[in-house]
Amino acid sequence: MTTQQQTGQEKEQVQEQAVGQVEMSLRQGGRSRMAGNTQAFLRNHAPFNKMQPDALQRFAEKAQIVFYAAGSEIVGPDSGKVRFFYLIESGKVQARQAGEVTVTEYSILSLSAGESFPIGAVTAGRPSTNLYTAVEDTFCYQLPADDFLALLTSSPEFNLFCTRYIASLLDQSRRQLQLQFSQRASEQQTLNSPLAGIGSRSPITVSPETPLRAALETMSKAGVGSLVVAGEDRKPVGVFTRTDLLDRVVLAELPLTTPVSEAMSPNPFMIEEHATAYDAMFAMATHGIRHVLVTDAENKLTGVVSERDLFSLQRVGLRQIRQSIDGARNVEALQQAAADVRQLSFNMLAQGVGAEQLTQFISALNDALTRRVIQLNLENHNFDGIEWAWLAFGSEGRDEQTFSTDQDNGIVFAPPAGASVDELKKRFLAYALDVNKDLDRCGFPLCKGNIMASNPQWCLTLEGWKDQFATWIRTPQPDALLNATIFFDFRALYGKSELADAMRRHLLAQTASNPMFLRAMAKNALDVEPPLGKIRDFLTDLEPGHPGKIDLKKYGSRIFVDVARIYAMASGVHNTNSIQRLRLAAQRLSIRADEINAVLEGLNFIQLLRLQHQYLEGEPGTQGDNLIDPDTLNELDRRILKESFRQARKIQTRLKLDYQVQ
Amino acid sequence: MLGLKKFLFRGSASATLPDDVRASLEVWRASKAAPLDDLHFHTRYVVVDIVSSGSNPDSDQLLGIAASSVWKGAIQPDDTFYVDFSTLDGEGSTVDRELTAFLLFAAKAPLVTYHIPYVGGFLQRAFKERLGIDFQPQWVDLAWLLPSMFEDKGDTVMPLDHWIEVFGLDAGTGRRDAMANTLLLARIFQMLTVRAVGKQIDSAAQLIDESRASSFLRRNH
Repeated sequence: MTTQQQTGQEKEQVQEQAVGQVEMSLRQGGRSRMAGNTQAFLRNHAPFNKMQPDALQRFAEKAQIVFYAAGSEIVGPDSGKVRFFYLIESGKVQARQAGEVTVTEYSILSLSAGESFPIGAVTAGRPSTNLYTAVEDTFCYQLPADDFLALLTSSPEFNLFCTRYIASLLDQSRRQLQLQFSQRASEQQTLNSPLAGIGSRSPITVSPETPLRAALETMSKAGVGSLVVAGEDRKPVGVFTRTDLLDRVVLAELPLTTPVSEAMSPNPFMIEEHATAYDAMFAMATHGIRHVLVTDAENKLTGVVSERDLFSLQRVGLRQIRQSIDGARNVEALQQAAADVRQLSFNMLAQGVGAEQLTQFISALNDALTRRVIQLNLENHNFDGIEWAWLAFGSEGRDEQTFSTDQDNGIVFAPPAGASVDELKKRFLAYALDVNKDLDRCGFPLCKGNIMASNPQWCLTLEGWKDQFATWIRTPQPDALLNATIFFDFRALYGKSELADAMRRHLLAQTASNPMFLRAMAKNALDVEPPLGKIRDFLTDLEPGHPGKIDLKKYGSRIFVDVARIYAMASGVHNTNSIQRLRLAAQRLSIRADEINAVLEGLNFIQLLRLQHQYLEGEPGTQGDNLIDPDTLNELDRRILKESFRQARKIQTRLKLDYQVQ
Repeated sequence: MLGLKKFLFRGSASATLPDDVRASLEVWRASKAAPLDDLHFHTRYVVVDIVSSGSNPDSDQLLGIAASSVWKGAIQPDDTFYVDFSTLDGEGSTVDRELTAFLLFAAKAPLVTYHIPYVGGFLQRAFKERLGIDFQPQWVDLAWLLPSMFEDKGDTVMPLDHWIEVFGLDAGTGRRDAMANTLLLARIFQMLTVRAVGKQIDSAAQLIDESRASSFLRRNH
């Protein structure tokens, strides 16, 4: 065989497989051409422009191109485990939180060319919690999840980007949460928006000298039920309403030539235009009024906001509730009012009122309700001439009530000289039992731990309370510390509030002179840690009976509340509300404002989740719990919850250092 | 380029083909085309564009083929093809193998292109002259289909650049290579299938019919 023949045979052998090989290499050629095309896009967008060439190449060689027509869904909770990482090449995509966790359609993010999604879900290998929809004709690069994960481990730049992206999303979402939680879904008006944009901008005004006849004609002509009485300087001096007409003109037989100033309600409630709709609402709830005059910085009238302006869409109005509470003649009427409070709170939650405001609001209305129960029962029990006060403890004492709060209350009284304390106490106990039962019927369940005024232990004279406090502080046993966390958050709900003030002064003086007590409290407060996992995001197996769940009260808000209490007592802060406590204590202890704000945001978020959870999970007539399954949260909420727990850990660490707890 | 012309368009074909090419062609001939009645999503379309030395398929030269598949709604980087004949320095059997490789790659899938007489013309001549094959794939012609699917955007056969512009696609600056062009066609094809589904044109068979009908109607009326 000649060399030439040999070469020829070898060549043929090579050639036999050659077409297949050629196809392979031409496919490779196609792939690298397409990758080059993709890279041209990637190079113009972070983080790809910073990635190493080989990582970029890997991305480009694996990225498929897909098209989504405007209006079509790309990926959502129903699409199952996320299979691709998407990078928008052109067009616009809307990310919307979906599912049962959110109440409003808040957090709608708009993504455009160069932005990617759903990073959290594809990283975690779970379904997306957001619904991604193309709002314009959109082209995306889609990288299969496996290739994405490989890239995540091999490219530090890409990894950093994804981590940062999630972090920035957190920051962004915080702002969005504030914005959107205060935003009605259907309209731009928010309860956090300034009054300047709400209600009537040109209220009907008359001067104080205007005769009643002219004033009434003005009202009739304008078809309004009320007038603002203001001087030439536009500073309101009063309001004149139909009610005034009846009470002060018709029934008082006042001649119609009388100046309107003599029939008006003077000193109208005014609020500055930079105040929020929420402030106006709160003022209406607190003062039981229907209109709030809006003024500029110089107290000149710029508008009127009515209850209707704020609650035009709601079934139950604030004032109706206040009215029905104040006018209730029996517990049955109050039961309806209690249901309305719940409904209104839900509406406010749905409308995006923040947790701090919402809990205060619930507390304010619950206070009114409780006071009415207390008053009604006073019709059967007479304590004339005796100084006493009804005390609220725990979350009620802190103005932090959620939808499900059981009773925590007590009585303090000061027996008059010569009176029998025992006999007086018996009367108070009998009275308290009636109140406790009525409150239970109004939806405030009896306290399981019997922390109620009808318990002889918690119906004490002022001296009795002082002794009790002093005993706890001097001997900080576990029981005493537990009690301190409940009873030291007290405020007077009805009666002589000076008694509560005296208790507070005594408490603060005692704690100041017993540093060991606060240290013991600190140690106690550090017993429970936020459920942050070292590997997983959350520890969900802390509650034996509820695997997969986190108790947001026990491992969340309570951590903040406990720390707030200690710092408040240490710095002599009289407030009981945890947020106020932390703010004021931070000032006195020179904690940086941004640091404490982050902590407060964490607390607020956890409270908001609790409220939402109780609202959504709570069935009518049952108690909502605080157990949430973090897997059911959307990505945003999960991230923020994690950050909130980190804040809890942060203030715990600070407490640990400050009190040298090992 | 002169040498290339010689290789690409020589007189006789199959008799002188290397064994492996002949074997592969047999495999290709015997292979079955995928059914055309499946939904677009499940149909593998091959989008193809060519480079040529001029616009006349009878006299000018085929210089390259760029193709990519659109399958499961996506342009798949793992399923693309690029051949450049212009760098060949005279190895005739290489060209035969490359053309055969394209047949294996395309695998009798419906081919999508812009202007069949141009692309199809060059391919047909090359396959005929080099491999002795009468290349008659199922064609989808975007040039004719686009005006009938997107009446709102243009009602007559227009240059591709017009469509790139009305769809707002980023065609980059300067000259596009054949693969960039193919990828633009593939994107346009993705948009077109969405539109087609909206018009109850759900399968490749229907789309091919529509493509034929639109070109027939427009040519004759």
